[in-house]
Amino acid sequence: MLEIKDLHATVGGKEILKGISLTINAGEIHAVMGPNGAGKSTLSYVLAGREGYEVTSGTVTYKGEDLLALSPDERATRGIFLAFQYPVEIPGVASATFLKTAYNAQRKARGEQEVDAMEFLKLVRIKTKELGIKDDMLKRAVNVGFSGGEKKRNEVLQMSLLEPDLMLLDETDSGLDIDALKIAADGVNRLRSPERAGLIITHYQRLLDYIVPDFVHVLADGRIVKSGDKSLALELEEKGYAEMSAA
Amino acid sequence: MKKLTPLAQDYVDRFPAELSQLPGHQNPATAQLRTDGLTAFADLDFPNHRIEEWRFTSLNALTKGVANDAAETDGLALVNPEFDTPYSMVFLDGRFDAASSKLDTLPDGVHLTSLAAELDAGNSDLVSTATPKQSLVALNTAFMEDGFVLKVAAGVTLDQPLRIRFLSTTATDRPAWHMRNIIEIADGAKVTLLEEHVCEAASAYFANPQTSISLQAGAVLSHFKYQNESIAAFHLALTECDIADDATYENFSLSTGAKLSRNELTTKIIGSGAKSILNGAYLMRGKQHCDTTTLTLHTVPQNESAQVYKGVLDGEARGIFQGKIHIAKDAQQVAGDQLSKALLLSDRATVACKPELEIYADDVKCSHGATSGELDEDALFYMQSRGIDEKSARKMLIDAFLADVIGEISDDAVKTYFSDIATEWLDRV
Repeated sequence: MLEIKDLHATVGGKEILKGISLTINAGEIHAVMGPNGAGKSTLSYVLAGREGYEVTSGTVTYKGEDLLALSPDERATRGIFLAFQYPVEIPGVASATFLKTAYNAQRKARGEQEVDAMEFLKLVRIKTKELGIKDDMLKRAVNVGFSGGEKKRNEVLQMSLLEPDLMLLDETDSGLDIDALKIAADGVNRLRSPERAGLIITHYQRLLDYIVPDFVHVLADGRIVKSGDKSLALELEEKGYAEMSAA
Repeated sequence: MKKLTPLAQDYVDRFPAELSQLPGHQNPATAQLRTDGLTAFADLDFPNHRIEEWRFTSLNALTKGVANDAAETDGLALVNPEFDTPYSMVFLDGRFDAASSKLDTLPDGVHLTSLAAELDAGNSDLVSTATPKQSLVALNTAFMEDGFVLKVAAGVTLDQPLRIRFLSTTATDRPAWHMRNIIEIADGAKVTLLEEHVCEAASAYFANPQTSISLQAGAVLSHFKYQNESIAAFHLALTECDIADDATYENFSLSTGAKLSRNELTTKIIGSGAKSILNGAYLMRGKQHCDTTTLTLHTVPQNESAQVYKGVLDGEARGIFQGKIHIAKDAQQVAGDQLSKALLLSDRATVACKPELEIYADDVKCSHGATSGELDEDALFYMQSRGIDEKSARKMLIDAFLADVIGEISDDAVKTYFSDIATEWLDRV
């Protein structure tokens, strides 16, 4: 589904990704771990198409298409979802409105019929119930005044609503306590399927107890220095990143 | 004798001939009123940047000559949504048009006439004879042609909004109209007024509406003004309102038109328990210039005022907000709040904000805030990453920016109307 070949990217004139190659097939969950500054978030932003992140060489092919030629909303409507590490607050825009607009934008882009407010509310209530999110959250402005945990759960809500083909989770576990973590992981696991793929960026191994990956990669100084299966994560936890990068 | 600007000179030269044609010309008192107005105007000329309150708005484009350049239109005139009400008064090119007005069902106690009719009937005392200190008022006094005179008797509540439309038709041979409007709301009466200044085409003209309002004890006037003049036009308006005990003046001004507009609002609170609420939104693009200048005077104790103005500026548009709150020495236990926010959608749009608090009393609560900024890039990316295209995302954010101030409009029908107009404007962004 996703093929990254020798990707180099700079941010603010500084090269952060120094030749990343990675292939993710449908049905697979890949975890990317690494120390701070390794380029983990950069990778997710480049895949999502954020401005200010310049690809200097390399290619990214998504479902056979050149991903880098698409705008962020085009990438989203083709099934890519980035769960932000720091979800953005949007004052004045009600969550329900935002979710419905995104949902319908995606349906429209796929040539499907848009849904009306009533239909949408029914849909979203099923998901909010699954994730233990209170109804009144929908009336509040997007992420405004939400605690860290609420913001992360809101990301998982959006993801379960939009049902992407490629889930990019950028440090979803940061700021969550165990209970919130379990709920978020549940939400992600419910979306696992042979047609869906995921790239989980995380600092700590703990999340991977709940969302068990098929592959683990260590990202250090802009490069993938080691790859393995889920046991690699446990190894990292024991030995730390420094030793891994040196190896 | 100092040299006048070309347009001022033109007015001075034209006056003697026009005096014999203007409404009320047979009445010596009215003729004297007009002559005094012209004398005051000739002495002052049009306001220029040396006057503090006009520092940010230059009238050179207007005063250099009567004939304006052909309008540079983008061909996208705002088609306004419908607004339904049984009470409607229409002025075409500044003159009352009975044929398109609907005033027959106005309830008892609501007296609405055209100023021209009143002046012709000999009622010159409607207009104050005090020497105008502002030159545009003086000019208006000299040349006032028509306007509306609204008097509402004590205790009367008008059940539906009164819509007064000043419609400018396509190219007339008269390039300017001076409207003088008078509103007197007696004790406990309640009125909602929708005042519109709109245009059918992009002709160039100069609109000079001057409105004097007096609210007696307990009166409530919800005054909604929509300005969508031709984008080649000049709209210089002044609205003055005296607010007595327990009376409330609510004004919401929505401005989308004119090449250069100035909406000046002066509210004078002369009673306790009185409220002055001045809100507004201005949406400008191209090379439009929009100036909002407010002055709220608290002259006695125990009353409150509030102002929230929001501007959205695209292209090379320029927005000005000057808000002054003056609290007299004896005006204790007074609250005055002011907030001005501007959203700049392009690199060349600009806004100037000048809040002023002149407080002489010592037991007051006042606040003021002024911010200007651009759309949040992070929010835009966040929305796009969920599949919302950039254009729609921008519109949602601008809509959110305007939502709370439009939400302040107390009349639901007007709120929907103004909200729909804003949405239409946004569709062109």
